[in-house]
Order: sequence, then structure tokens, then C-alpha cells
Amino acid sequence: MKRVLIVDDAATVRMYHRGILESAGYTVTEAWNGIEALEKALEAPFDLYIVDINMPKLDGYGFLRELRQQNVPQSPTIMVSTEATTTDERSAYRAGANSYLVKPVRPSQLLSYVRLMLGEAVQ
Amino acid sequence: MGLVKQKIVQLAERGKLKLERDYSQLLTALEDGDAAGRRQAAREIVRCPDAAKTLVNRLKSEEDLSVREVILNTLLRLNVPSEVSGLVDCLRSEDAALRNEVIEAFKQMGSEVDPILHTLLADPDPDVRIFVVNILDSQRHPDVESWLIKVIEQDSHVNVCATAVDLLCEVASEAAVDPLSRLKARFASEPYIQFAANLAIKRIREV
Amino acid sequence: MTTAYAHLPESEPIISDEDFLKFKEFFYRRTGINFEPTKRYFVDKRLVERIETTGTGTFRGYFTLLRFQASGEELQQLTNLMTVNETYFLREEYQFRCLVDSILPEIVRHRIGSDAIRIWCIPSSTGEEPYSIAMYLMENWPGISKWDVEIISSDIDTSVLHRARAGRYSPRSVQHVPAPWLTRYFKAIGEDYQLRKDIREAVEFTRVNLSESAETLAYRNFDVIFCRNLLIYFDDISRQTAAETFYEAMNPGAFICLGHSESMSRISSLFKVRKFPEAIVYQKGLEAK
Repeated sequence: MKRVLIVDDAATVRMYHRGILESAGYTVTEAWNGIEALEKALEAPFDLYIVDINMPKLDGYGFLRELRQQNVPQSPTIMVSTEATTTDERSAYRAGANSYLVKPVRPSQLLSYVRLMLGEAVQ
Repeated sequence: MGLVKQKIVQLAERGKLKLERDYSQLLTALEDGDAAGRRQAAREIVRCPDAAKTLVNRLKSEEDLSVREVILNTLLRLNVPSEVSGLVDCLRSEDAALRNEVIEAFKQMGSEVDPILHTLLADPDPDVRIFVVNILDSQRHPDVESWLIKVIEQDSHVNVCATAVDLLCEVASEAAVDPLSRLKARFASEPYIQFAANLAIKRIREV
Repeated sequence: MTTAYAHLPESEPIISDEDFLKFKEFFYRRTGINFEPTKRYFVDKRLVERIETTGTGTFRGYFTLLRFQASGEELQQLTNLMTVNETYFLREEYQFRCLVDSILPEIVRHRIGSDAIRIWCIPSSTGEEPYSIAMYLMENWPGISKWDVEIISSDIDTSVLHRARAGRYSPRSVQHVPAPWLTRYFKAIGEDYQLRKDIREAVEFTRVNLSESAETLAYRNFDVIFCRNLLIYFDDISRQTAAETFYEAMNPGAFICLGHSESMSRISSLFKVRKFPEAIVYQKGLEAK
């Protein structure tokens, strides 16, 4: 079973994404910000990271940067933002994200992206 | 070799502070090439109430996180509401780290900044409005709920409302039920809004 | 409720499933501690206790107090109840293993010159932690024959400092100390164990209020800081102040260890997360000033 780490400081968002992913058979772990996410990834790297941008203490960009610096095994990352401008999207890709989603996310959309990133068949 | 006892009194010699520096000396020291020097200056400058503006400007160009943290701490302690508007600019910064640090600092400010925050709830940038909703949530008085309700009734942007609903899941009372239902109707095709609003209502209803 | 029930004693406040979830999320956000459903009874019991003590009557009333109280006192009380506070020798021993197997070798590798290695333990409480470190180094660190080590341990409470200096402990406190160490470092006095003079003299105890920056000015050039199970009880501002104080107190490349259920994620981003085989610890940048 593929392991996904959801990184977001909003409890309801984590719960929502967790519900979608678990019903599709993924194992989900949560983290409140980039530091907690890094600690979890260092303990046991994940197959996929779904990362919010704005979080206290260490944001999404910082987390991606730390993942690389710490030589955590590379896994795909979906960066999630509240803003649809191109600035955030460019920054996300420059920071190393593999794909980019704008909130609010629809279940089918999230699942397609996840399957795509994990190299699974996209329905 | 081995365990050695060192009296802390001797250590005081190592960390000897320079004599109290004046404002212009501290301003110079704020530009010190050494981060430790800048931190020390930012700490000492808390004695100078006029320093707030300079500190806000310094904050915008300061690259060392440890110095930024001290600057923000000093600004909090100086508590000069008129300079808070300078910090508001930082909320618009492209530097996500700086934005988030300033948001954290705002969360620690008292209710003197509420008027400014309420004005910002009408800011044209939805991301700024989202930050403000987050900051308002951390204010420690029960008006929080009524502010969040106002946001879900008046804001046009789905993510600003989504942030408010997320926070309402923790603090909402019966007063929020009707506004939440109306929000659900307004964003009937957004699964996340349905999910979050339903959760908030469930938490209110289950006594 | 009908009057038919009026003669029954007031029932205990009820914690509903949603109440538990609401509380769980709040507590996780504030402390990083996540309560699994298996801890439901543990959590409910303590919530009920605090609801009754505070006189708030219901979970809703209590949660409002918890969430909005400016002083944060109730949250601190509750956190105290929800966490295990017992102190004893070799508590969270895996961190001492980390000190000896991973942290000190790295510090020594980057060391220029032969200055003493300086360790700060705060809070000292009644001394079990700094004395544990002293014994552990003597017993398990080969480098102790080559390097000077200074252990300084501080607390805000002078009465515990007094007891720490006295170095007399109950059987409960030493229950995890290996028998050979007991013989080597302690003397039995009645049912208690008295630490021998040379080990007691290996630790310098000082009184310090971590939130008072004037008091911490002299604390500099540390290589390792142990700050376990203290910051979790602080509010946001005090946590940040403590993190800055530690940052100033540390050499570049120095390490800091928090308690088992604590994380810098709720405290500060000043430090780099470092994963060693034994533990996750935090480090001040090598190039930091």
C-alpha cells in the first residue's frame, strides 16, 4: 500500500484529503507544518507528498528544500495552493514540486493527480 | 580530561556586554556583517521607541532568519500600532518565509491591531484576506466567532470562506448554523465547502 | 429533563465523539501530541477532571476557557495532566546513547582546538538528568579520557536545585540504573541512594529563569543542550524566547535535544532537523554566527 504524507496546518483540509485518499486505498499520515513533515519523512520516507504552501515555521517551499538537502529518497510532490496566479505555480516548480493544485480540490481531481504521480492507471 | 566543573561566574567574563549603546550606534550595528551582531543590536534597540520604523525596513531586507526573529520580537515588545502598517506590506511579500513569520508575529499582537486587521478583510488580494482570517482566529477573545461568521457571509472568494469554515469547526456555536447553511448553498458545487461546513454544523449540533 | 430525575446526583460531564475530535485537533496543533482513539479513556478522564475543577460544567464551557484564556494557564495545567512528568535516572536513555554514539563524535570531528565540551541541561529538576549524563559519559564515551566535559544544569526553582546538589535519591528514582553503576557512583543510606562526591561535583547547578534574557547572557559556547519536557508547557512567546536564548547559547554546529514527545515544529525554525540512528535532534548551522 502506497504511503502518502499530507502536509497542511488546517485540520479540516487534512481530514478532507485523508478521506479521499483512504477510500482509494492509500495509507495516509498527516503533518502540521514543514518541520513535522520533515521529521516524519526522515523516520520513514513516503511514496508521495501533498504539501500546502503557507504553514507556520517552515512552509511548503522550505520543506521541499530540506527534503533535498537531507537526501531523503526522491518521491513525487504535489504542491497545493490557495492562489491561482502563475507566481505561486512557477515558485512551486522551481522549488522542486512535480505538480501543482489549487484549492479547493475536488476528490476526482486529487485522485487523478495522485495516481499520475504514483505511476498508476488514471481512470 | 573527564568531567570538569566550571563555575558559571567565570563564564560571565566571556559574554561581557559592551556599555549601553546609543540609538545611532545601534542603527549602525543593525547593519553589522555578523548576524550575531545584528541580533544583539536588534535586542538592545528595544530601549528606543523610535526604532520601530527602522526595524520594519530592516526586516524586509534581512536574510538571516535568526535576526528576523529577534527584530519581530523587539517590534512586538515595542508595541507601536502605527508601525504595524509597515508590517502589513510584508504580508504581500513574495518571500513566503517572511510572510509566514510576519503572520506568526501578528498572531501574538494584542487587540490594538484588530482595527487594522478588520480593514484588511476588504483587501483586494484574497491571499491577504486569508492571512487576516488566520490572524483573527488566534485573537483570544470570543468575538472570533462573529468575525468568522461575517467572513462566510460577506466574502466572495471560496478560499477565504474555506479558511473561515475550517476555523469555525473549532469555535462555532449555534449562531453559526444558519450562516453555514447559506454558505453551503452559495458554494453548492464545491465538495470541500460542503464537507467543511457539514463538519462544523455536526460539531455544533452534537452536544 | 423531567423532575423525576431531580433526586439523582449530577452526572459527570459527557465527552462526545465530536468533542474528543475537537479537543484532539486543538491539542495536536498546540503541542504536537496526537491522541490515538486508544487513548480515549485516558483523555476523557482528565478532561472530566479539569471540567469539574474549573467549574465550567460542560465540555463546551471548558473548551471555551481552554481556547480563549489569555494567560494560557488552563492549557498548561491540562498539558501537565496529559503528559508523563516523572523524573528518574536514565529517563529517555536513547538520547544519551545518541549523545555518545552520534552527537559527540560529530562535535569532536569538527572541533578546532581542545576547548572543553560544554553541555547544558535545563531544567535540572532534582538532578537525575545531568547526573545521568555524567555517569553515562564516564561509562560509555571513550572520548571522556581525551576531552574535558563541563556539565551545567539549571532550574528556576531553588528548592529543587538544593535537592539536586544534595544528590540523595529514592529507590524508585534509581530503578533503571545498572547495578555496577549503583555500586560505583552511589552509597546506600537506609533505603535511599546517595551520589558520591566526585560525581556530584561534576555538575554545576545554577538558578536561571529561561524567560529572562538578562539572566541567560552568560550562557554561551555550549555544544549540547538538553531541554526535555519543559517547552511543551510554555506559551508561544515563551517558547520562541527560549529558542532564541538557546540559539545564542550554542556554538555553530551545536545540538539540542527535546523530550520524547516534543518537536521544534511547535517551537522554532531556527534549527536544522537531524536524524541519527538513535534519535531526531536539532542543530544550529555550522556556518551560523
